[in-house]
Amino acid sequence: MSRNLAIKSARAQKDMTQKDLAAAVGVSRQTINAIEQGEYNPTIKLCRAICRALGKTLDELFWEEDNNEKKQP
Amino acid sequence: MKKSNLDEMQEQKLLKIEHNGYWLAYAGLIAAILIQGVLGGSFREILGEILVLLVICLYMVWGCLKQGIWARRLNANGKTNFLGSLAAGLVMGVFYAVRCAGSIENSGYLIIIGLISAAFTFLLAFAALSACTWFYRKRREKLDNE
Repeated sequence: MSRNLAIKSARAQKDMTQKDLAAAVGVSRQTINAIEQGEYNPTIKLCRAICRALGKTLDELFWEEDNNEKKQP
Repeated sequence: MKKSNLDEMQEQKLLKIEHNGYWLAYAGLIAAILIQGVLGGSFREILGEILVLLVICLYMVWGCLKQGIWARRLNANGKTNFLGSLAAGLVMGVFYAVRCAGSIENSGYLIIIGLISAAFTFLLAFAALSACTWFYRKRREKLDNE
């Protein structure tokens, strides 16, 4: 899984730390870090909560181009 | 029930740890039964371990069949059941032959004991696996049509 730079960028735009985002969606900071690093694949429920907290759509934060998807096992 | 302190990723990690712990305990129980049995432990001495293993196995089989799950990598068919039963038969045949080696010196008798144990274990395991395969297919069919 590739890194999720879109979340990092959206978080920076809102001037939120990983800890702030974690508190907003009710998970641990490690979970947000793992999602950004591409080490954890969140459920759709958590994806939607992150989108709401950052004011973005699912496509903007979680859509990957075909090239990236093909790299996944 | 009290709300969980874990988020979804921590929950998955805990499930993975519990999964590993389960298989460690499962393998440990089998090893304890086999080692105690080979060292000459009486049936009464290993009865506790056997009962715990039996309960675990029954729970796993019941749980999996109820959900229409067979195995990750093995298919539910006669060939797999035959090979699994053969492996169980071989293990039990060797186990009983080794267990009796201390009290019976005649190697011919030991081979016969091993063969009879292996044959009975094979037949019982094959019958049990075939019954489970039949229940699995029925359950899967029912779940797929719901």
